Amino acid sequence: MLTTFETKSNRVKGLSFHSKRPWILASLHSGVIQLWDYRMGTLIDKFDEHEGPVRGVHFHNSQPLFVSGGDDYKIKIWNYKTCRCLFTLLGHLDYIRSVHFHHEHPWIVSASDDQTIRVWNWQSRTCISILTGHNHYVMCASFHLKEDLIVSASLDQTVRVWDISALKKKTASPGDDMLRLSQMNTDLFSGVDAVIKYVLEGHDRGVNWAAFHPNLSLIVSGADDWQVKLWRMNDTKAWEVDTLRGHMNNVSCVMFHANQDIIVSNSEDKSIRVWDATKRTGIQTFRREHDRFWILAAHPEMNLLAAGHDSGMIVFKLERERPAFAVSGDSLFYTKNRFLRFYEFSSQKDSQVIPIRRPGSTSLNQSPRTLSYSPSENAVLICSNTDGGSYELYVIPKDNISRGDSVPDAKRGNGGSAVFVARNRFAVLDRSSNQVLVKNLKNEVVKKGLLPIPTDAIFYAGTGNLLCRTDDRVYIFDLQQRLVLGDLETPFIKYTIWSNDMEYVALLGKHAIIIASKKLVHQCTLHETIRVKSGAWDENGVLIYTTLNHIKYCLPNGDSGIIRTHDVPIYITKVTGNSIFCLDRDGKNKIIIIDATEYMFKLSLLKKRYEHVMSMIRNSQLCGQSMIAYLQQKGFPEVALHFVRDEKIRFNLALESGNIQIAVASAKEIDEKDHWYRLGVEALRQGNTGIMEYAYQRTKNFERLSFLYLITGNMDKLTKMLKIAEVKNDIMGQFHNALYLGDVHERLKILENAGHLSLTYLTASVHGLEDVVERLAGDFEENAPSLPEGKHPSLLIPPSPVMCGGDWPLLRVMRGIFEGGLDAAGKGGEEEEDGADGNWGEEMDMADVNGLENGDVATILKDGEVGEEEDEEEVGWDLEDLELPPEIETPRASSNTCTSLFVTPSPGMPISQIWIQKSSLAGEHAAAGNFDTAMRLLNRQLGIHNFAPLKSLFIDLHTGSYSYLRAFSSMPVLSLAIERGWSESNNPNARGPPVLVCNFSELEERLKNGYRATTAGKLAEALRLFTGILHKIPLIVVESRREVDEVKELIIIVKEYVLGLRMELKRREMNNDSVRQQELAAYFTHLNLQLAHQRLALISAMNVCFKAKNLATAGNFARRLLESNPANENHAKIARQVLQASERNNTDASQLNYDYRNPFVVCGATYFPIYKGQKYTTCPYCSSRFVPAQEGKLCSVCDLAVVSADTSGLLSSPSQVRR
Amino acid sequence: MATAASAGPDHLFNLRNYFYLGAYQAAINCSDSLPSLSPEESVEKDCLVFRSYIALGSYALVINEIDDAAATPLQAVKMLALYLSSPGNKETVISSLKEWLADPAIGNNPILKLIAGTIFMHEKDYIEALKHTNAGGTMELHALNIQIFLQMNRSDYAEKQLRIMQQADEDHTLTQLANAWLDLAVGGSKIQEAYLIFQDFSEKYQTTGLILNGKAVCCMHMGNFDEAETLLLEALNKASCFSKLVIPSLVDLLP
Repeated sequence: MLTTFETKSNRVKGLSFHSKRPWILASLHSGVIQLWDYRMGTLIDKFDEHEGPVRGVHFHNSQPLFVSGGDDYKIKIWNYKTCRCLFTLLGHLDYIRSVHFHHEHPWIVSASDDQTIRVWNWQSRTCISILTGHNHYVMCASFHLKEDLIVSASLDQTVRVWDISALKKKTASPGDDMLRLSQMNTDLFSGVDAVIKYVLEGHDRGVNWAAFHPNLSLIVSGADDWQVKLWRMNDTKAWEVDTLRGHMNNVSCVMFHANQDIIVSNSEDKSIRVWDATKRTGIQTFRREHDRFWILAAHPEMNLLAAGHDSGMIVFKLERERPAFAVSGDSLFYTKNRFLRFYEFSSQKDSQVIPIRRPGSTSLNQSPRTLSYSPSENAVLICSNTDGGSYELYVIPKDNISRGDSVPDAKRGNGGSAVFVARNRFAVLDRSSNQVLVKNLKNEVVKKGLLPIPTDAIFYAGTGNLLCRTDDRVYIFDLQQRLVLGDLETPFIKYTIWSNDMEYVALLGKHAIIIASKKLVHQCTLHETIRVKSGAWDENGVLIYTTLNHIKYCLPNGDSGIIRTHDVPIYITKVTGNSIFCLDRDGKNKIIIIDATEYMFKLSLLKKRYEHVMSMIRNSQLCGQSMIAYLQQKGFPEVALHFVRDEKIRFNLALESGNIQIAVASAKEIDEKDHWYRLGVEALRQGNTGIMEYAYQRTKNFERLSFLYLITGNMDKLTKMLKIAEVKNDIMGQFHNALYLGDVHERLKILENAGHLSLTYLTASVHGLEDVVERLAGDFEENAPSLPEGKHPSLLIPPSPVMCGGDWPLLRVMRGIFEGGLDAAGKGGEEEEDGADGNWGEEMDMADVNGLENGDVATILKDGEVGEEEDEEEVGWDLEDLELPPEIETPRASSNTCTSLFVTPSPGMPISQIWIQKSSLAGEHAAAGNFDTAMRLLNRQLGIHNFAPLKSLFIDLHTGSYSYLRAFSSMPVLSLAIERGWSESNNPNARGPPVLVCNFSELEERLKNGYRATTAGKLAEALRLFTGILHKIPLIVVESRREVDEVKELIIIVKEYVLGLRMELKRREMNNDSVRQQELAAYFTHLNLQLAHQRLALISAMNVCFKAKNLATAGNFARRLLESNPANENHAKIARQVLQASERNNTDASQLNYDYRNPFVVCGATYFPIYKGQKYTTCPYCSSRFVPAQEGKLCSVCDLAVVSADTSGLLSSPSQVRR
Repeated sequence: MATAASAGPDHLFNLRNYFYLGAYQAAINCSDSLPSLSPEESVEKDCLVFRSYIALGSYALVINEIDDAAATPLQAVKMLALYLSSPGNKETVISSLKEWLADPAIGNNPILKLIAGTIFMHEKDYIEALKHTNAGGTMELHALNIQIFLQMNRSDYAEKQLRIMQQADEDHTLTQLANAWLDLAVGGSKIQEAYLIFQDFSEKYQTTGLILNGKAVCCMHMGNFDEAETLLLEALNKASCFSKLVIPSLVDLLP
């Protein structure tokens, strides 16, 4: 039993769930009806109008109503929105035991100790039927959900089923009068419209409760004979099916479970019992110490039950509804209905993987609790509470094409919790000994470890680590080091969720979320009033979590907020961007799209990505007071400024962020004294005298203004202030200003005008203005005030300020943080990039250096032994030579004795040798590093004699076929051979041929580039490319015969181009020999080229011949050009003109060695035509033809082979050999 | 040892792991913050730290720091530093090494044997190396044996050694590493296992050049050159001086 909520109160006699809201009504023996929110755990309302116990209470399923019935014989209808009793139905003559609404008609059925059952219409507020027949208290009565039936239970030991279809017909008839009439009839002849259908006898004592099955024709009843009875009915009769014995006292309430095949009953024996409805056996019993149970209620839609007892009530469910799941990358594994299922987030594909073992249905809540998945081994660990905690290990077959229904072999074991700690290791907690057993996939114990703190559950915490939970703390334990890596005091933790980078972990408790680093350093704690259900980290390190009814976010600094609400609990499995993947309680995968703007905005602020913040401000509707308040609170008033339109708030924010310009603008808009004053204060703080002056002027604060002018040394304005004060008749102001100005005469004038004659006199005498003194002395006569002795008066003139005019050095206010931050961020980014560039450059260089070094290493390795010998020889020249031998011998002797059993194995065959033995392909020999055999092979097969062009390729092949592994520190590196055609099904130790750095497709690519270069007229480049191809082909290795033919074809194509390009280049070099130029151009047109290239050759030949006045030959080229249908209209035009010219004058100015009517090939060396029938020799490799004189010379086309050498032919595929 | 319930915490675990996985600087750094150690542990710690310095190429530091009064294992480490620091030292080092190995009092010291194996391996005198290391005794010696056998192209012998290591402690870092070396050497389907081992390491510990290189080698053997290139570039970024020794300039050789 999983208790959701519990209350303490007086005895609870009636209970009812609200169908939509998380509310439950409890009617108490004290007469109070309580309305609870069981999710929040709060008492919403109390209804206290009944006198004496309230035994029945029921929510209406759609209206904001509920009904209650009590020992005051009253049925009260309440509106819970207005918290008022709407009206009272009177009629029963004794205690009312139960009240129930009809689910669609406006009816209430009530059962009473007056031995009657009454049906009321709560709209007309009248009793529409009285069902009599029971001859003792009627303990309960309720409507059938679908049929027109009522079931009732009575202390007369019977259960009765009543047919109320007549009542339904009657109320269905229209007309108010008719209705009233019939109701009168009902009152008079009660029982006519409700007839007893069945009387079920069988209980030996009074029956306390009876209830219909929601779908089947079944009734269950509980009675004071301590028994629960199951009844079945059909259209004509009803009979007893079975009796469920087990309760040790009166059964007070019993009901069918809505979704499962079980019966739930409770009793005065202080227990709730759960029965299997088909097997009719007890499944589980929950007991309370002191409280007798009185009532049960089931939620109409959810899997919730409630039970009322002597001192309160409990809301509970029988089974967990959280599907066990595990997320790994793009895949989710979860259990549903005894199947392991697989869901792919990216494709949203959901499929059943394997069936899992069904636990014996002897007890409830045995479904899998947790799931742990090892992706590389494709293994799943399923933990459940069966047998006090056990796990099952399934290895999912690779081809999980629905392998039917047979449960695959599972390895089982007992243990509190089990979780994968490495690819092929899982840890099992043995609670009794507080040990962790590490097992392999064969379920064998590999290692045992004692945990330092008593632990009741373990969770994954990175490879080899466990997060262990105790009641009040969690700690991370390293299984290998046997060390506690970190611990943290927490409330009881239920789930742990690691962030994607494994840096942070969210610990979910019932009402708290704690985020800690991977070493369990506390980051923040969130408290939730509603239960926390699940969570997942998004890509940006924001934790998205769910409570029972909210989806919320939590930023790394602990700021949290609600994203949205939801009605039914969901379990988040993954968050990507705006999508939340979750499982609901039915095990269905859902995707919820959320608006991530708010938390992304806050995150950007937090991470100081101001650029992002700015773009979000510009592009989204992120306004609202809460956001402004947040920004202000977080110290970003300058950001908040961007949101606000209201001038007063704007002004405040501007002041707070020190943005004086905006503040001035706002102040102008507002134009209130207070704001000007505050602006002045801020301006003073910043030292912005201009604005200070402006603000003081606006507030007419002349004293400050004067002082400001004084300290800024603005004497003109100070004089002006003096005038203003005079005009305003402000004597004090005048005097001040005069004092500031150091103007004694003015002061005297002011003092005299104000009547302060003695002061005037003194001032004058102090400053030595004798005329005034004398003038006044007369007035004073004897009473002239005397000056203090011993003082030397001096005129007080304020010092002139250091800075005159303009602003003072301005205070560096926060203005930078945002704008400046933006700049800095931008700059920072650039700098980083620059830095990165620098690094890249450097390291690329180093890569080259490495390459060289490795090349060296390789060669050293290859002829290592030679090197060794040389070393030893050098040693031989050393002076220490004499001392050495005895030293060598001694250890040998000792080691011989101690290793007498050990025979050093002879070195095995290096892979290069294996490769050589297996292969007769030159490329593979080169890759193996056996350059001499490779060369010999090439010589034999293709007659190649010049290996210089192949050298770099040889080295590349050799380097590319090895990888180097640093195994143990300070050791020589291990060189490992890379084999071609790897697949995971290859057998180990079966050596494949070496991998080769060049392949055929690459050559095809080069060929295309060569064509392109030719078209573009970059002949030298094209020649380089084509020659390169020709040089690579001898070492190429292909798989099939077909490819060999392609290689051979390629040779022919390429050699034509090489020959052609060489000729063309030679022609261009020549300047004086026009005849030879024409000949070469003409021969070029006869090579086997791509059509486009042939056209180019024809055009150039045509031009050359035309220019040399060989019109007949040129005409021939023009004709051929036209025959090839040139796409370029310009070329065609020229060709036509040339043709016309040649037809007019079909002669040649000079004789060429060129007869286009006679087929010929061109000699590769001399570039003379070899006409059909003439003698020639060929290159064994590229098959270029040569005049016989070239025999035995190096082929000038391919630059590799010797012309007319005796060879066996190109060998480039193992398939050729196998033949 | 295999199924024995564990004893107290192993203080040198991290240090050793860092060293084996090629995180030499981390090994040196973490040695400062160790709790009080027993004399044996302390010598082992010093050995590991100095060997880390050697691996980083700071031979002079090691040679200067270790004086003649230091314990045998440290002297052995110094010898390795001398050997590697310049080719001119080789002769003297080898001669004194042989002298020491002959001394029954210290000849059986595992570190000395390990260093001997290392030096003879550099000399390509595998037979001499095996003479001192074949008896094994420590995980490091076994791992060294495996490497020698692999160098000799005798993966069958290497496998036997690996089995011994697995029996001793299957989850030991060296066992796992040696397993990966062997897997790579025999090839075929084993390559994947090697990859998984390196993958495990990179998830469990900070990635080092050694791990990245191992992964890259696996990728290359599996024909996955693009991934290998990324890994190698990452390794280059990570530990430039280390990878200089290891990584071939594959980048321009890639097909």
